[in-house]
Amino acid sequence: MTTFLLRRVLLGLLTLFLVSIVVFAATQALPGNAAVAILGRNATPARVAALSRQLHLDRSVVSQYTHWLGGIVSGNLGTSAATQQPVSHLISARILNSAFLVIVSAIIAVPLSIALGVWMAVRRDKPADHILSTTTLALASLPDFVIGLALALLLATNVAHVFPAVSIVPPGEHAWNVPKAVVLPALTLIIAVTPYISRIMRASMIEVLESEYVTMARLKGLPNRTVIWRHAVPNAIVPAIQVSALQLAYMAGGVVLVEYVFSFPGIGAQLVDSVGNRDIPVVQALAIIIAAVYVVVNLVADLLTIVVTPRLRTAGR
Amino acid sequence: MTDNDFSREDTIGGVTRRQVLRGALGSGAVLSAGALLAACGSSGNSSSSSASSSAGSGASSGPIKAGGAISVGATGGGAKDTIDAHLPTADPDIMRCWNLYEPLAVRPPDFGPLQMMVAESLEPEHGKANSWIVKLRPGVEFHNGKTVAPEDVIFSLQRILDPKNPKVGAASIGYIDIKNIKKVSSSEIRIPLKIANATFPDDIGQYFNAIVPVGYDPAKPVGTGAFMYGSFTPGQQSVFKKFPNYWQSGKPYADQLTIIDFTDDTARVNALLGGQVLAVDNLPSGQIAQVQGTSGLKVLISQTGEWQPFTMRVDQAPFSDARVRQAMRLIVNRPQMVEQVLSGQGRIANDMYSPFDPAYDSSLPQRHQDVEQAKSLLKQAGHSGLAVQLTTAPVFQGIVQAAEVFAQQASAAGVTVKLQKLDSGTFYGSNYLKWTLAQDFWATREYLPQVAQGSLPSSPFNECHWADPTFIKYINEARATLDQTKRNEILRQAETIEYNSGGYIIPYFSNQIDAYSDKLTGFVEAKSGFPLGNYWFKNVGFKA
Repeated sequence: MTTFLLRRVLLGLLTLFLVSIVVFAATQALPGNAAVAILGRNATPARVAALSRQLHLDRSVVSQYTHWLGGIVSGNLGTSAATQQPVSHLISARILNSAFLVIVSAIIAVPLSIALGVWMAVRRDKPADHILSTTTLALASLPDFVIGLALALLLATNVAHVFPAVSIVPPGEHAWNVPKAVVLPALTLIIAVTPYISRIMRASMIEVLESEYVTMARLKGLPNRTVIWRHAVPNAIVPAIQVSALQLAYMAGGVVLVEYVFSFPGIGAQLVDSVGNRDIPVVQALAIIIAAVYVVVNLVADLLTIVVTPRLRTAGR
Repeated sequence: MTDNDFSREDTIGGVTRRQVLRGALGSGAVLSAGALLAACGSSGNSSSSSASSSAGSGASSGPIKAGGAISVGATGGGAKDTIDAHLPTADPDIMRCWNLYEPLAVRPPDFGPLQMMVAESLEPEHGKANSWIVKLRPGVEFHNGKTVAPEDVIFSLQRILDPKNPKVGAASIGYIDIKNIKKVSSSEIRIPLKIANATFPDDIGQYFNAIVPVGYDPAKPVGTGAFMYGSFTPGQQSVFKKFPNYWQSGKPYADQLTIIDFTDDTARVNALLGGQVLAVDNLPSGQIAQVQGTSGLKVLISQTGEWQPFTMRVDQAPFSDARVRQAMRLIVNRPQMVEQVLSGQGRIANDMYSPFDPAYDSSLPQRHQDVEQAKSLLKQAGHSGLAVQLTTAPVFQGIVQAAEVFAQQASAAGVTVKLQKLDSGTFYGSNYLKWTLAQDFWATREYLPQVAQGSLPSSPFNECHWADPTFIKYINEARATLDQTKRNEILRQAETIEYNSGGYIIPYFSNQIDAYSDKLTGFVEAKSGFPLGNYWFKNVGFKA
């Protein structure tokens, strides 16, 4: 178990290292540099030259990368090219806002979709199951921003004015102090991920409900509730854990579009902005953080899978 | 913002770029007689509009009460937002500048004569256009309580023209002889120029040439504007407070102004529809109907002098032949372009810019699509079956669509226009200003200042590589001529040369479209092209 954990952590770090190289190479492949991006239409040679010097863009690509890597190793994310502020200062509040949004969405979406999946499986082929299956399938096929825009239309601008259409969080405030601003983006994320998890849960639950030991449990006369929650669910949940992890990881990246639609002050809007600005230190930092979420979430999912699967839990002892 | 690998980005890139243009290249307008009069302190007659007579719509008026907080949605913005008086680039930067700072003089929203701000007058010395005397308006205070002095003006100009770090305004007033600028008295400054320029007041009378106090630090921004600094968070919002000692008595009306960045057009409009902001700039034309149909909201449409030309390099084949350039101009179906590209929000143009300048020659015949004539010109030039590449990028709203419509119209004349669609990062990369056939966008400006920006070999943005010797002769002559009537005669001759053989195809002038809640009043149309009436929230307040 410890060896397994150690190996996974080391592999995770290697992944992050490779990601940093790929992202850096990709940003280099973008035409133009931060100086041109910042000046845009005013990119006269004199102003580009002055700004490039100021931003140290005259250094070689390799030296820029090693400089950045050296900073990361010592816990320094570098300085933003666009704002000349420390990257950590620039992104910390936004990371917290995005993390809050994703965690709130996950806390609601995961149990909800597991319960929904179980319920559909139990009512398999009844009208309720058919309606929910079709609805979730339809929702799963909608892009996030369409869901977001539809919610804004329904709940904020045209039909009803219940929630704010855009998430204005005053600077210096955190998203959790402005709960209203989180409602629509969170709802969008919940609607976006629930179909996947619930459909997987339904499929796996149906399989388990058809197995012999469930039939056995029923024949023993155990109450239905006990059969489902004590016997069936723990065995059906493994695929749901895996897909939940994938969805959580997806949310960490997919939050970009949702934040964009609602002008939510999180990492998504900042990532889009930084790519536009060719602000490589910020792009690097955010890409690494999103990649780290992928690695950690997958690791946690694997550990959970081991915990709920006796066969795996006892292996290697 | 520059890159645009995501399609959503395109809009951002576009709009921001548009604002950049306003910021950077804004260099006013030829000073009309009226403007000179106003400059001398008398009441000026209204300047100019020869090209267009009809007005826009949606301005508001009525009694205004003092107090209240106004929140506005601005287009774009992000981490590189700035509050520096001399470095505005994106739309929110420009909005901040107009409210925090003031230049010596500036064109009002109706693009009438130059309005004196920090200066009381701006006059040529000894009747010659190569040296100017600025007289300060008495008692104008900075937000820190200090009264504006000649030293502050000198400091501001030195900061703009700093050779190590030239600011936005440097491109338009680079000809100031900065070493010899002098304080003449406790309220006067002499500004000598390296060239004679009768339209100097318009070049310096730009919002980005603001007067800031000696020792200005953008971290603690101080200006003379109607609102003073409260807080500023790049990419999110800025909060400004009423400046109680503002020189224009009774203004501003509101106690607080909050400017909120919106990278997404839909989010910005949704914020207005949902009542989270009371005004937005740059309403997409597709959403005019929806906003108009919402009770409590108004759409403000302004006819401007903004233009988005196709640029042909006159020094490169095939456009080095003036007949080919004429043929390209005859290919364009202008009314169709206004309809398809601008959803009707614009008016056709005649391959000439600066429609509000009194020197604008409206007697030159309006060019219409003439495919037969175009074909025959191409045949004479030996270019039948011409195939050209048009370089386009989403640098301004509607530009890529304009390129597509143009390509379609050209095929009717047997000309193949191949589109090279780039992202704006590449467009502004190393080939910027060198494309053989490309596009650009410009703000409302009068003729001579516009020429200085784009139509002389010395211009920073001469994309057509236009260097006609007779044209240059006329321009130099006009610059040295302070008499407006004489100057305009000379300028019409220069215009005729551009009309007959210039490198621009100018199909239309586009409208500026904004929207606001009818709780507010005081908004005026902006021929200047600066949204919401030059962003002057000092004129806006809640309905009494």
